[in-house]
Amino acid sequence: MAVLSIKDLSKNYGKIQALQNVSFDVPQQTVFGILGPNGSGKTTLLGIVMDVLKASGGTFSWMGEQSSTAAQRKKIGTLLETPNFYHYLSAERNLKIAARIKGRGEEDIEHVLKIVNLYQRKDSKFSTFSLGMKQRLAIAAALLGNPDILVFDEPTNGLDPAGIAEIRELIKELNRKGKTIIMASHILDEVEKVCTHVAIIQKGVLKTVGSVKEVMHLGEDDTTVLMEIASDDNDSLLAIIQQMQGLKSASVTDAGIELICDDTLTAAQVNRWCFEKGIVLNKLYVKRKSLEKRFLEITGTKSEK
Amino acid sequence: MVELLKIEWMKLKNYTAFKVLAIFFGLGVIVTNYVVYIINREVVQQVPAAGMVSFTPPYSFAMTWHTTSYASGCILLLPAMLLAILITNEFGFKTHRQNIIDGLTRQQFIGIKIMLALIFALVSTVLVFFTALVFGWSSGTSFSFAGIANVGYFFLKAITYNLFAVLIAVLIKRTGFAIGLLFIYMGAENFISQLLWGLSIYLKREKSTDLGNIGDYLPLNAVDGLLEFPDNAVKSMSKAIMPQDITWLVWVLAAAYLALFYFWATKKFVKSDL
Repeated sequence: MAVLSIKDLSKNYGKIQALQNVSFDVPQQTVFGILGPNGSGKTTLLGIVMDVLKASGGTFSWMGEQSSTAAQRKKIGTLLETPNFYHYLSAERNLKIAARIKGRGEEDIEHVLKIVNLYQRKDSKFSTFSLGMKQRLAIAAALLGNPDILVFDEPTNGLDPAGIAEIRELIKELNRKGKTIIMASHILDEVEKVCTHVAIIQKGVLKTVGSVKEVMHLGEDDTTVLMEIASDDNDSLLAIIQQMQGLKSASVTDAGIELICDDTLTAAQVNRWCFEKGIVLNKLYVKRKSLEKRFLEITGTKSEK
Repeated sequence: MVELLKIEWMKLKNYTAFKVLAIFFGLGVIVTNYVVYIINREVVQQVPAAGMVSFTPPYSFAMTWHTTSYASGCILLLPAMLLAILITNEFGFKTHRQNIIDGLTRQQFIGIKIMLALIFALVSTVLVFFTALVFGWSSGTSFSFAGIANVGYFFLKAITYNLFAVLIAVLIKRTGFAIGLLFIYMGAENFISQLLWGLSIYLKREKSTDLGNIGDYLPLNAVDGLLEFPDNAVKSMSKAIMPQDITWLVWVLAAAYLALFYFWATKKFVKSDL
């Protein structure tokens, strides 16, 4: 059964179509990324399924139940768009209110504050927090009551690099514990590193959806491998590598030489070949076709005006 | 419901503006009445000398219920303002969204704000009741419940002002604009009602058409019309030229406006994007 099933969801703001007939299912125990450029409708989509926005058309259901009831939302931890708290209250008091609304006890509060490293600041007013701390408090609030479903809208927004790594690790950890995480992001790298499934949205239109693996290979020529190599003398390297069997093309880039080869060729073979010809490589790695490339293929290369 | 009120209380109890405005209002009721009391004492002492007819002291039983209710009605803007701040705060902090996301229904969210409006009105009324009682006792006259209906009118006025503030807050969403509009609207309505009052007198005298006091048919003035200025010598004399109040119509309008504020605010919050 799908955790969240969306069918023909549409939303207009006047003449602007923020969402157009978007349909997809979020399978259980996945990290489901909703990827799209700024203004593509990610937050609108999440807003509708959390009942803070009204859909212009279409339906959705959580856990197969037809109506979105408040009881269902109590069992979902959500961070939507911005951290929303009472500015004049402390972190702890804000979480007490959230816990109370969710119908949970207060015993979780210490635990979730520790997870996001805010326990020392539990008595500080929300208004004194930095953007990153506010974001972490919002994640703590989402974790209250140990929900099985988490909805994160740009969870790493405003965090420092260490914070970003921590939150990504936290999301993977939650997923390993069997939680389903729905996550909106415009950061490809993030989706690629964290998500198991992805839906790509552009201008309110669903472009593609599936597991990250499926999406990355969809319509792609699967028989090639991308490698990047470099040595102290790239000109000689280029001459030598071009004689190697199984190579389709080699081109000089800023970083070295990019190779497109048959998928039968391995990094070890390339390394041995160059070494035997008297060239020592100082760089060799196999590039997967990145989600970024797929994303640009799917959505076009220009940012939306 | 009790659970929801407890959540509201968690939001309120550490909010400075709440404490300040609550104390202002509490003191305001006492101070306003004390000032009116002093002024009247001076008048009461002076007027007989000027040859006026007999005059009941305004804070004696049973006048005290009416006088205290009317005088306290003038500072009902304070709890209304507080409600507008509390609700627009939620919009400002976007906690109205978060509360829904965390599992309140939209009806619960707006319902508890309306309940808060009701509670503020009740607490104000209880305060007015005891103030009237204390002033009455201190006047040395014998206790009487006559005219207690005016305390009821005060409650009606309080709940109307409060619900009006809830509606403005839900429609405007921004604290500054909402408070500003609340002030401007109240001023404008009083001004217009004065013009209409003039019109009513004109219609009665020149056209012999008594439509009652038309100024009382406006949303906030309808309840003001029920809680009239206490009778005094001057007012008694002017009654002859005044239009006859059409009390039943004012009642109907007061109830209709109250219902309008309630349903409009609820519908707006339940139906629109947050």
